[in-house]
Amino acid sequence: MKANLNLITLALLAASSSAMAAETETKQVVSYGLAHANTAKVKFAAWKCGRCEANTGTEGTITVGVGYADADDVHAANALGTDDTFAYKLNADVGYKSESGYQAEFNALNLGMDSSRAELSAGKAGQYDINLNYRTIKTYTTDDALTPYQGVGGNDLTLPSNWVTAGTTDGMTMLATSLNPVELSLKRERAGIGFNLEGDSLWSTYVDYQRENKTGLKTASGSFFNQSMMLAEPVDYTTDILEAGIKLRGDYWFTALSYSGSVFKNEYSVLAFDNAFNPTFGAQTRGYMALDPDNEAHTVSLAGVYNDGTMSLQGRAYLGQMSQDEPLVTSGYGYQLPAEAVDAQVDLTGIDTRVTYRLTRSLRLQGSYDYYDRDNQTQVEEWTQISINNVNGTVAYNVPYDHSRHRAKLQADYRITSGVKLDGGYEYRRDDRSYQDREVTDENNLWARLNYTSLENWDFRLKADYGMRDGSRFQASELTSTENNELLRRYNLADRQRTAFEFTVTHTPVDTVTLDLSTRYALDDYDETEIGLTESEDFSYDLSLSWQAGKDLLLTAFYGAQTIESQQNGSSNFSGPTWTSNIEDEFSYIGAGARYDNLMADKLTLGVDYNYGDSKSNTQVTQGITGSYGDYYSRSHSLNLYGEYLISEQATLRMDYRMEKYKDNDPANSIAPDDIWNVLSFGNLNHDYNAHLVMVSLQYKL
Amino acid sequence: MKINKTLKGLLAMVVMAFATAMPATAAKWDDKMSPQEVEAVLDKKFVEGKYSPKGADSCLMCHRKGEGVMDIFKGPHGDMTHSKGPMAGLQCEACHGPMGSHNRGGKEPMITFGSESSLSPEKQNSVCMSCHQDDERMNWNGGHHDNADVACADCHNIHVAKDPVLEKQTEVAVCTNCHTKQKADLHKRSAHPMKWAEMTCSDCHNPHGTLAEADLNKPSINKSCYECHAEKRGPKLWEHAPVTENCVSCHNPHGSVNDGMLKTRAPQLCQQCHASDGHASAAYLGNTPFGGEVGNNAFTGGRSCLNCHSQVHGSNHPSGKLLQR
Repeated sequence: MKANLNLITLALLAASSSAMAAETETKQVVSYGLAHANTAKVKFAAWKCGRCEANTGTEGTITVGVGYADADDVHAANALGTDDTFAYKLNADVGYKSESGYQAEFNALNLGMDSSRAELSAGKAGQYDINLNYRTIKTYTTDDALTPYQGVGGNDLTLPSNWVTAGTTDGMTMLATSLNPVELSLKRERAGIGFNLEGDSLWSTYVDYQRENKTGLKTASGSFFNQSMMLAEPVDYTTDILEAGIKLRGDYWFTALSYSGSVFKNEYSVLAFDNAFNPTFGAQTRGYMALDPDNEAHTVSLAGVYNDGTMSLQGRAYLGQMSQDEPLVTSGYGYQLPAEAVDAQVDLTGIDTRVTYRLTRSLRLQGSYDYYDRDNQTQVEEWTQISINNVNGTVAYNVPYDHSRHRAKLQADYRITSGVKLDGGYEYRRDDRSYQDREVTDENNLWARLNYTSLENWDFRLKADYGMRDGSRFQASELTSTENNELLRRYNLADRQRTAFEFTVTHTPVDTVTLDLSTRYALDDYDETEIGLTESEDFSYDLSLSWQAGKDLLLTAFYGAQTIESQQNGSSNFSGPTWTSNIEDEFSYIGAGARYDNLMADKLTLGVDYNYGDSKSNTQVTQGITGSYGDYYSRSHSLNLYGEYLISEQATLRMDYRMEKYKDNDPANSIAPDDIWNVLSFGNLNHDYNAHLVMVSLQYKL
Repeated sequence: MKINKTLKGLLAMVVMAFATAMPATAAKWDDKMSPQEVEAVLDKKFVEGKYSPKGADSCLMCHRKGEGVMDIFKGPHGDMTHSKGPMAGLQCEACHGPMGSHNRGGKEPMITFGSESSLSPEKQNSVCMSCHQDDERMNWNGGHHDNADVACADCHNIHVAKDPVLEKQTEVAVCTNCHTKQKADLHKRSAHPMKWAEMTCSDCHNPHGTLAEADLNKPSINKSCYECHAEKRGPKLWEHAPVTENCVSCHNPHGSVNDGMLKTRAPQLCQQCHASDGHASAAYLGNTPFGGEVGNNAFTGGRSCLNCHSQVHGSNHPSGKLLQR
């Protein structure tokens, strides 16, 4: 039958379906929601649940694991979850419930490892609960960034007392003996407490508080005119977030008034560093960099929805404010400041609305409108720029950027038959910006999507998208870009034609096998741009297979590939294009897995997961001759072999072997610290390692 | 019937796409009735409101040995002490609809859920949404998953002690069953730490829909990023315009073949917007047959433009106009 399906059949099908739909239209119930239920005849007094199970008491599992890791590069800890040789972890999933309904739950995942989380909650369902939560994430860049600076970890970086400055890095005679490796890594540690209280029917309220500390080191660069040093910037941030709100609900409506506040504090407001080079302009021997300032953000929002099953009306309005008044850096500045602190403030206003309306059984309409406004209230002042910045003590004015956006969407979905659905829409967006080359951009977008699932073993989905952006005249003003080439069109403002397609097919030859193929293509054509990004093309596809090869054996495989090609033009004589750049990013990914359950009389499970990621980027620049940016890549193999053995009803032993083979290259940083005459770098930051982790864990069932 | 087959096709797609945890099988009435007929019966029963004489006991009389049925009591939906849960109201029939004559041989349709149900996702979801209309789900209608005909039961399973999609360790796997591009992306050279569930999709997105783009939890892209990157929020004295407007102008949060989740590396990324007379306009050729090397000069080596303009996210230094200090 499926083989004979053609357009005529489709048309007949559509007609018959429409007729059937029309027939039942009048009797249709729009929702099976409880608010619509006819419970007039229910005799609740006779309802008892003798067969229901209360499941009270304590149950769950606790797992403890110990592991041994073998890695000679700290970067491996991103994959293995630990940078220690010996690791341990605690997993828990324990719940308690009393007969009267008091409940408590404790969940933990990888506690003791670098990235972990835990939550303890207690309360009475539908009435109140309190929860405590904890979460950590640690990421590693390298443990081999070479620096001659002392005081790493703090905000005063000094060179050794015997340091010999020079005009070029290779003249720094004490460099080789002064270099020490430092670890660039960042750890987040978050703890929170939350409380929910619910009324009998109408209202509920909540308050959540969390504090996150982020600590570690990241890369910064300190510069004097055209000479620069890579620096280990200390990260010691504390962010407090408080969220609270009250919610009201009825049968067909819901509304919430909420507050969200975030207070960010940086332990360090300035990073001071010695000049490793001979002082040039201004005879500066010390540099001072302003670090991210303490700041606050507060948002109050009111949201609501009305939904009667046929129509849904949704809306949200919010007012926000972001501000900071960190005292300005004065060390090494030497000019009069117009204010001791910036006292910066940005006001945010947003309104989002959406309506969906089911017109008939087959047709649904949607419309939405969003408004967003960023109003930077910061006072504009005169700021004298330090002469070594090559602008020679000129006065500059800060530019408080404003931005507002209107966005409207109309959309319809029409079910031609139960297996064929067509939807499409139109979107309009207008952005208004201050102090930019182009103050207004308009974007129009049309899209359509067809879902075809009428064939028994095949499903298809096709989506096409076309968008066009233009806007007001490009006009460089003194505050935007007097110094820029007037032919430059920044890609976030430029005219653009965007074409995109997506096609997905799913095939199930037999019940146990599923094959998926997805392809995507997108072309951004900046057709009016002479200088800047002119084109970007993105093509990707992936194939996946899932095969339940037996009752207990599941096999999966995945392959994905992507190519992004971009072209841009530049001008080295400040007029029309004289050079071009072509960038080709390529990525491929392979994933495979197998899991065999219930071996050895239902006691043993064996499994394997393997992932391979291959990232490459090739940049070529042509101006008369063509040069390339070398072999920029990363390749990672991740393997996890595991076995679980049921020792007893209560105890399960699990063994994991994880292997991470990783190699990357960045020709820009495949260098010694003094390879660039005017950049004192961290040296070679590439990785090439093979790391292993063996972990044995015991799960105990309560 | 053809209609039956076409709907099964639709349902098969949902099955494959979401690989639900619950091993559902088609109801026995599906062989003899078209989906339209099933729905018509369910509509009629719902309006008539012929609920069972004894509530859950009436249902469990036959169904207690069914696969997963009793597991409802391990989760919140079977919690008999929950004052607002189904067990405090219409019990099994709160979700599965009035029993009507279903107890006479089980041939009369009941409301069923998941990929094997012949009922439209919209109709299935109307049951769930009647209780779960709250701040997390108030924008379901018109959200990404609603538009894609995803049923609540495609991702969720309530007849279990633990719903896999609510477990942080398995959440990403559930989402990337459909979102295959994102599945691959997280294995790129740089990506948010999601490969081992340190972060999960729901840290940024609400699968139940929001009024923000990409169903983000927060009202805008930048506000979403500031949740964890509050140091970038400022507002700083010297702002970098695209940074204040949209982090995604330069970064791809799902991953990139470049470090720092950058769409393009410096200097090309910077030169797409900066072409002032002088060093910003020059062609940097990299490795050439004439001795040029990527790593031997400050424009392409090391951190490229960031060697000097380190403060690309804005500077709060009085002399920070050029984002150098």
